[in-house]
Order: sequence, then C-alpha cells, then structure tokens
Amino acid sequence: MASIQIANARKSYGAVDVLHGIDLNISDGEFIVLVGPSGCGKSTLLRMIAGLEDITSGDISIAGNVVNDLQPKDRDIAMVFQSYALYPHMSVAENMSYALTLRKTAKEKISDAISGVAEILGLTALLERRPKALSGGQRQRVAMGRAIVRKPQAFLFDEPLSNLDARLREQMRTEIRKLHHRLGATSVYVTHDQIEAMTMADRIVAMHDGIIQQVGSPVEIYDKPANIFVASFIGSPAMNFLKGSYEISDDNGAGVRLSDGALVPVLQAQNAQNNQAVTLGSRPEHISIVSDADNGLPAKVELIEPMGLSTLVHVTLAGKPIKIFTMDRPNYPVDSFIHIAFDMAKAHVFDTSSEQRLPPTTEPHSGHKD
Amino acid sequence: MTTVTQTGKLPAERRGGFSKKLSGIIEPYLYVSPALVLIIAVMLMPLILGLSYAFRDIRILNPFSGGFVGTAHFEALISDQAFLGALANTAWWTFGSLLFQFGLGLILALLLNRQFLGRRMVQALVFLPWAVPTFLSGLNWAWMFNPVVGPLPHWMTSLGLMAEPFNILSDPDLAMWGPIIANIWFGIPFFAITMLAALQSIPKELYEAASIDGATTRQQFISITLPFLAPTIAITLMLRTIWIANFADLIVVMTNGGPADSTQIVASYIFTQAFRRLDFGYASAIAAVLLVLLLAYALSVIALRRAMTHADS
Repeated sequence: MASIQIANARKSYGAVDVLHGIDLNISDGEFIVLVGPSGCGKSTLLRMIAGLEDITSGDISIAGNVVNDLQPKDRDIAMVFQSYALYPHMSVAENMSYALTLRKTAKEKISDAISGVAEILGLTALLERRPKALSGGQRQRVAMGRAIVRKPQAFLFDEPLSNLDARLREQMRTEIRKLHHRLGATSVYVTHDQIEAMTMADRIVAMHDGIIQQVGSPVEIYDKPANIFVASFIGSPAMNFLKGSYEISDDNGAGVRLSDGALVPVLQAQNAQNNQAVTLGSRPEHISIVSDADNGLPAKVELIEPMGLSTLVHVTLAGKPIKIFTMDRPNYPVDSFIHIAFDMAKAHVFDTSSEQRLPPTTEPHSGHKD
Repeated sequence: MTTVTQTGKLPAERRGGFSKKLSGIIEPYLYVSPALVLIIAVMLMPLILGLSYAFRDIRILNPFSGGFVGTAHFEALISDQAFLGALANTAWWTFGSLLFQFGLGLILALLLNRQFLGRRMVQALVFLPWAVPTFLSGLNWAWMFNPVVGPLPHWMTSLGLMAEPFNILSDPDLAMWGPIIANIWFGIPFFAITMLAALQSIPKELYEAASIDGATTRQQFISITLPFLAPTIAITLMLRTIWIANFADLIVVMTNGGPADSTQIVASYIFTQAFRRLDFGYASAIAAVLLVLLLAYALSVIALRRAMTHADS
C-alpha cells in the first residue's frame, strides 16, 4: 500500500480549465472520498491518478514516486469503473485473472489468488459464468475482485455504486467499507452521492468547479462546513439558508436580522461586522417547533412529508422555504401557522458575498483547507 | 370467479359450428395474405420461373426452341471446360477480393477509429468508391491498366515490377488481378464502414480497464476488439462472399471474361451465355448450380456461427 500526493495538479482541455491547482495528501491506507456535483472535476482527478488522463501541470506521486509520465499499467493501481468494464467475452475467473495472466504469474498462484478473492466476495459459485449472466450486484463484486486480486498500491473507484438500486447500494457500501478494513488499502473513491461520502470516508474531499472546497472527516465537514457550497451539498435533507444582516446587540449577543424583520439569535461570529450581509444556515434537525409564540418565529406550513422514521415539515419563513426535521408525528393542517426556533449553538453564519463560513468566536481558529 | 370465466367463455361457445371453426382457422391467413401474395409475386415466382428455364431449351434465335429437355443442360455442364474453369476462377476472384477487402477495410476502420483532425471529412471520403457506379469504376480501372492512356503500367515499370509497360488485362496469367484490384478498391469502404460502426460500439472503459490491467495494444486488440468484432466479421464476410461471387459487372466491363476465358467467372459466364449466345436455358442451368453452391456455403457458415455461439455460452 502507498500514500498518494497531489501537488498543484491542473487539467485543461484547450482553453477550458477543468482543475485549478489541486493539492491533496492521501496517507497510506486512507479511504478518501472525492465528492461534488457532476462536472466538478472529481472523476478527472481520479483518472489523472490512474493515468487515463494527462496532467496539464503539477505532480502526482504514488508511494513517493512522481507518476506523471508513467503508463496506467506501470502505476500499480487498480480501478473499479461505474460501468464495471468487465470483459464480456471472458468468464468471471478470466476477468479476475487477466491482469495476473498478462504479468505471466504462475498458474497455481493465479488460481490461489482467484479462489481466495472469490471466497471473500462470495463469487466462488459464479467463477465460470460470463458477466452477462450476472446481476448488477454480482458484476459489481467481480469488478471489485478484479481489482483486489492484483494487490495494487491503491484502489481507485469511479462512482462504482451508481448503477445499483438503493438497497443494493446500501449493502455494497458496507461491504466496500468492511473490505477496506480488512485489506487496509489506500482508496480514492469518487461519488456524487453525499450519503456515500459521509458513510464511507475517512476523509471527504468536497469539490466544486475544479477547486477543492474543503477536506475533512465526515463529521467535521457536516458540522463545520467551510462555505455555503459544502453546507448545501452535504446533508440530506439539505441545510436551510436565509439571507439577512448580522447584528451585535448591547449585551454582546448576536443575531441575524431576516428580511421580514425577525431576529434569529446566533453565537457571535469571528470577524463579523455589524450590519454585514450574512446568510444564516441551519440544518433541518437544528430547527424545532415550539408551542410558545414568544420564543419562536411564525411560519406557514406548506407540506408535511412523512419519512417513516421521521417527518419533514416544509414551512415558509420570511418568504423562503424552510425544512424542519422532527421525530414527532406532527399533524398540522396545510396553510396553518406554527412557531419555529433555531438552535442558536448549531446555526451557521456565512458571509453572503464570499460565501465563506464565519465560525463562532468560541470555535478555535482552524484552517479547513488541507 | 366462476361468473367471470362463464362470461369469458360464452361467446366462443355460441360461435360453435364447423364453418365458424373453419373461419377461425382461415382468419389469420387472410390478414397476412397481402404480404404473402407480394412475396410470392416478386420473390418466389421469378425464382421458380428461372429454375424452370434450366430444364427447357430456350434460345432466343431459335423460334422452335422452348421444349422440355430434362437434365440435358446439367449433363452438358459437367463436361463444359469453360464452366469448370469459371468455377475455379470464381473461387480465385471471390476469395482474392474478399481477403484484401476485409484486411485493408479492417485496417482502415482501425485508423478511422482514432482521433485526428478532419476525421469526419475523411470518413465521408472513404465511402466514395462505394458510391461510384461500378460500370464507371470498371472503365476507369481498365484505362488505368492500359499503357496507352493509364499511368499504372509505367509506374510498375519504374518500380521494377514490370520489364516494360504492358496491359496486364491482356495477359492470361495476370488478367484476373485487374478486376480483383478494382474490386478491392471498390469493396474496402463496405468493410471499413461496417467495422468502424462495430468498433465504435465497444465501450471505451474496457480499453481503459485493460490498459490498467497491463494489456499492450496488441493484447487489447486480441482480447477486446476481436471478440467484439467477431459477429460483424462473420456476417459481413458471408454476405460479401455471396455478393462478390455474383458480381460480374467489373469483369464484364474490364475484360469481358477474356483473354481466352482467363477471367471468366460463373456469373460472367451466365451473362455471356444468356446475352451473347442468347441461350437462356443453358444460362439458367448455370445460375441454378451457382445458387445451390452459394446456398450450401451460406448454410455452412450459419451452422458454423451457431456452433461457435453455442460453444460461447
């Protein structure tokens, strides 16, 4: 296994810049998830690590060696593709052994490796089948097996679960994680699914427009998003945002004055000026429904969305849609008014123009960027 | 439940009767009859009519001909040296053209499948020989081989392939290469275009996965490209074999079967018999033999393909 260093890596197609100077250090055995909306450059970055795309400038090193000019086969990495890319004319066993056969590995060694990996992945009964005779989940496993058999320095995953149905995706998520624990292999996993990112990653790399927005553990990313993009992209149901202006009160308290004049108390934010244009961010689970009109803001119920475990209440506040997560079973009629209160300690304040988060003064200064 | 099945059954029972049953049997055939009539009229009738000529004495210049002669034409065929020579020439002509058309067409398709500037333009241009009327391309090639008006003999002499410029079309040993070369030029686009279409249907990720697995370009060609192309190769080779074996236009235009029948293939021999000697009966008999040979060939290829796909799965 090996560490991967990416230093100021850039990628342009002609005049179009896709990646603007990516810096990232992936430690040995780490499970890194690159997450972001389509077109953010995450797949391109992964393909650059694999050697399937040229690097316009900058360096990528695997195990300390710069691999910029190495062919994919010489980088000692394995990749799992979204389409699985199984060789349709070969059996499962042949698919998994192809790389070893090309390296002229001894036959006994190959069959040992195949049976070992097939055992781990539960493919033993399917070894003689062709890919077309397999279900989506089984194909996914064969693709994983093909990668594992080679014992590479690093695993690269390109949205490997997006072709599976929801239930299978959940199951494979756990399996890949368990497999990572077992093999301890350095892994780079690309997904646009923030749930996959949250559940699987040691560290999440949130990307947008070819720039790394934030690197951190899933909890760090969730609790302390660096900016509005990360805050809105990570978390489902998504964070609520309300524009307003920052106000410091006489008793050293602070609040965000919404467009309808209501004041939402927040923790004092670092470097925030009085009357600065800010955006208040609050996750649906950090807003509560209160019975007391004095402590809450009036909001109009738009929709009640039961989700089984919980219920999502859609309301409008200051003309903006707000989602509230509750474990209760509320039964408000549509168009009725309820009172909601924001959890002051969990609310985020973002500078509206720079979209960066203004952390509370109680939070120690920390560089979110890696 | 019972009431439902009852009501469902009633109309059929009420129909009953022999005539009703009969109309039930005939009905589906009535629906397909327009198509059937068309197929019989345009496909089956000419075929049967043509085959029947093979057993009759039909010579345009002989007003007393037209009688039934049994298998006389076929008996004559067995000892007809010109026919036997034409059979051998057909094999040479067909497989000589096919091999080069396929080989060069595949190479061209692989080249066209790469990214380069003006690729679409070149793809369109490659199709051009296919669009030229065969009569015209035959004439063109005949002129090109002619040392008086064409450049080819002079080039070959300069290259040392010929002692002095002469027309290969008038040399009985070399004449067949003239139409074959013209046919290769004419047939490459067909293979290039069909192979290119098949190549473009191969998922790109397979090559990426293979390159990560460590396969060289040659290994990728063998383990990914060829298996993907195999069904297309099988079907196009079969179709082209039949088409080329029946394709007399270039030969008739360029050499007219000569010199001394050295380029006479079965298809051009049929043409000669029918439209030069005006012996339609004998020409039909030759055509019938060619039909049987090509049918046998097609059936064996289909059987082979089926055996291969069965072994596959």
